[in-house]
Amino acid sequence: MGLVPESEALQMIKMTLAGLFSTLILISGCATATNEASTDPAAGDEFAAAWDAADAKRQEAAAVGYEWRDTSKMLKKAKTEAEAGNTEAAMKLVAKAHEESADAIEQEARESTLWQSRVPQ
Amino acid sequence: MRKLIVAMTATLMAFGGLALQASPESDRAAFEKYFTDRFKDTPKDDFINGVYSIDAASREQWVEIEEFAPYELSIDAGKAEFEKPFANGKGYGDCFENGGAVRGMYPYWDADRKEVITMELAINECREANGEEPIKYSKGKMADISAYMSFLSRGQLIEVVVPDDPDALAAYERGKEFYYRKRGQLNFSCFDCHGGGSGNLVRADKLSPALGHTSHFPVYRSKWGGMGTLHRRFGGCNRQVRAASFKSQSQIYRELEYFLTYMSNGLAFNGPGARK
Repeated sequence: MGLVPESEALQMIKMTLAGLFSTLILISGCATATNEASTDPAAGDEFAAAWDAADAKRQEAAAVGYEWRDTSKMLKKAKTEAEAGNTEAAMKLVAKAHEESADAIEQEARESTLWQSRVPQ
Repeated sequence: MRKLIVAMTATLMAFGGLALQASPESDRAAFEKYFTDRFKDTPKDDFINGVYSIDAASREQWVEIEEFAPYELSIDAGKAEFEKPFANGKGYGDCFENGGAVRGMYPYWDADRKEVITMELAINECREANGEEPIKYSKGKMADISAYMSFLSRGQLIEVVVPDDPDALAAYERGKEFYYRKRGQLNFSCFDCHGGGSGNLVRADKLSPALGHTSHFPVYRSKWGGMGTLHRRFGGCNRQVRAASFKSQSQIYRELEYFLTYMSNGLAFNGPGARK
């Protein structure tokens, strides 16, 4: 005979199992909540629109021969991050790529006349 | 005050116009003077040796390297490739006169095609005209064949011609503009490094002067651990300033080669070379 009566031991096992079960439900709920955030259709649409705009800007820079070296890589990485559910990181990369291309286009406009000042006379 | 502004604007426009309308020959003379003034101890003909013409310490090492030049295997491979008949029985010798010693003829303006023809482009066109697949432009077999033909051509003068043809002049001007334009995230022009920056240190290495820059290609570069063509180097330079590069033998790189080689007219071709 143990220290605890048999009926009480059964009771304790039941309570422990119930506790474990609710913890599992809670964890699984959290995980589902995270996945839901990353696959939120609105967030996905926002990313897709931002990505398209940044890529269009990159193409604009490339069309005048002024695309910067890493812009394309950034956009590729942004897609990978978005697919992995890292929406915030993905959006940051897209914003940086967009900004780079805008700077490159400005640089091209600036250089369209400035280059002449460097020609030895 | 208004008159002063108008006068200043007119003066600026006149100077801007001068830069645009300067003849290739006046460009070349000013370009050469820029470097001979900057490096007074370097004899003009020695600029074909790149950074070794202005850096005595590096030159000593380079002279030793030249005793067992790393590009020699490439010349041998290029010779074998040059002499190997195509499937139709013909060979490079049927496309290039003088046994392939033709570096001094390139680059040139083709008035019918209205484009700049470089030696590497001509090598691939020779292959294609004889039913062979074109080869990649930056390194490998192309660099080997180019190395062999350049070796045979050592001592030929650089005599690029920009004919009195608006299309040729426009191609020259596009190459010139590309050379002086800043680009990339680091905002550098070719001339920033190899003109105003020439002789300055980038980490432990001196930047080479642009005069004579195209004379010694293709080169064996220690950094590459192998041979590369001039356009491979153009692409590398563009990427180093964090700009997207263009394809080897793209129109703009051929026009850049046209301008930059013209700037060294009067110097001698001495490729292939060895560089860090």
